[in-house]
Amino acid sequence: MDFNFGPVIESWRFLADGVRITVLLSLSVAACSLTFGTLVALARRYGPKWLQAILIFYIDSMRAIPVLVVLVWFYFAFPIATGINLPPFLSALVALSFNLTAYVAEIVRAGMESVRPGQVRAGLALGMSTPQIVRKIVLPQAFVRMMPALGNVLTLTVKDTAIAAVIAVPELMRRADAIAGQTYTPVEVFSTVMLLYFCIIFPITRGVDIVYKRISFLGRS
Amino acid sequence: MTIATAPQTAATVLQYRDVQKLYGDFVALQGVSMEVKKQQVVCLIGPSGSGKSTLLRCTNALETIDGGEILFDGVRLPKDRTAIRKVRQRMGMVFQNFELFPHKTAIENVIMGPSTVLGLSDEASRDRAEALLKKVGLADKAKNYPANLSGGQQQRVAIARALAMEPEVMLFDEPTSALDPETIGEVLNVMKALADDGMTMIVVTHEMTFARRVADHVVVFERGEIIEQGPPKQIFEAPTTARTRDFLGHLGWDG
Ligand SMILES: Nc1ncnc2c1ncn2[C@@H]1O[C@H](COP(=O)(O)OP(=O)(O)OP(=O)(O)O)[C@@H](O)[C@H]1O
Ligand SMILES: [Mg+2]
Repeated sequence: MDFNFGPVIESWRFLADGVRITVLLSLSVAACSLTFGTLVALARRYGPKWLQAILIFYIDSMRAIPVLVVLVWFYFAFPIATGINLPPFLSALVALSFNLTAYVAEIVRAGMESVRPGQVRAGLALGMSTPQIVRKIVLPQAFVRMMPALGNVLTLTVKDTAIAAVIAVPELMRRADAIAGQTYTPVEVFSTVMLLYFCIIFPITRGVDIVYKRISFLGRS
Repeated sequence: MTIATAPQTAATVLQYRDVQKLYGDFVALQGVSMEVKKQQVVCLIGPSGSGKSTLLRCTNALETIDGGEILFDGVRLPKDRTAIRKVRQRMGMVFQNFELFPHKTAIENVIMGPSTVLGLSDEASRDRAEALLKKVGLADKAKNYPANLSGGQQQRVAIARALAMEPEVMLFDEPTSALDPETIGEVLNVMKALADDGMTMIVVTHEMTFARRVADHVVVFERGEIIEQGPPKQIFEAPTTARTRDFLGHLGWDG
């Protein structure tokens, strides 16, 4: 069997731009999920009962529905249901964030619960208010403790962005598919894509590991 | 050896009247009445599970009481959250497990109260923290994280953290129980110095030598009740109840 990497090499700019969009989408989704996941976790713990009930339902449903279905729903059903048309990139951002926020919320909740009650008591004894205690004592320690789990979510995010290809977001997978189709070199193209995903994700995993080893004492009470 | 005694006419800082505390139907405190005068050191002793920590936690409203009343400076402990916080700001608490904030350096731990709660400027709270770390003998460890301090050093930082609020009374819950024997002394010395400075203190402790030498008043707990209280001389040399004698005997205390 002969390999022909010509098409891959010729269209490297095209693929590199796909990598750029994959990374951009991943970082945007990660930032949104972290922000909203933290807010959901806080609302679930300190919010009114009715809100807690809604959020529990939301989290449970996101764990029960495939992320691909959520994505397709946001791109094809949401505009018809609401009259709001989102471009592909934004649809993918919203759908993936909507899904991952639920997972991040669960991680943040577990992280906050893992902080010793004595830490909260120490804050209370100083006369701090609950919001101050959450912001200055519980969350910082929880985030240190959550680092491995959050790093995991970040790698999941990068992998999940590949499904945005189905709604024509011009990210890495979509572009690879286009080149493979036009040049009939699926083996070369998709092998390259595997390697590229690995090159994005591997440093994240190792990096999180290394950083966590160095700072885990900040969360150890 | 001198036994410091507070003047009998001193104002009452804390007054407990028939305090009761329940956990479900378990009675953790029952009819506890005692008082703490200004500049007094009151030591609470008694077997494990007798309610000593519970009484401390009720004192700064970390726990609510189910009967009786606690007066701080003549005023009943409030129910309102904001008012409770105001009361807590006037009391310092030191825990058995230190409970330093692990993500903050020693000096940042001490700064936490003045800057977030009292709203002091960065400079003012830093100055205060530096002075307090010096006072507990840890000026050179200001930038260490708790993970890089020994138990005794952590507890001294925790004392400085509580003092940074300039409290009117300090509550110590077995401050040396989690320490290696060789570092207990440094913490007790800091506490002794505080007492000599005239700080009002309630100390839950198993350190009978400390109670004997530093306390003005000793309260013996058993099963949520006070079984005896009085000056250390009475408690340690001539206990009036057999149960106090039993408890001290168990500790190997022979006067
Ligand atoms: N949150 C709680 N829920 C139920 N029971 C509790 C709770 N806190 C304390 N207790 C019980 O109340 C009793 C008194 O506890 P407390 O911690 O005050 O004892 P202690 O005198 O401080 O003992 P130790 O010397 O072991 O610290 C114990 O029997 C304990 O099991
Ligand atoms: Mg206790």
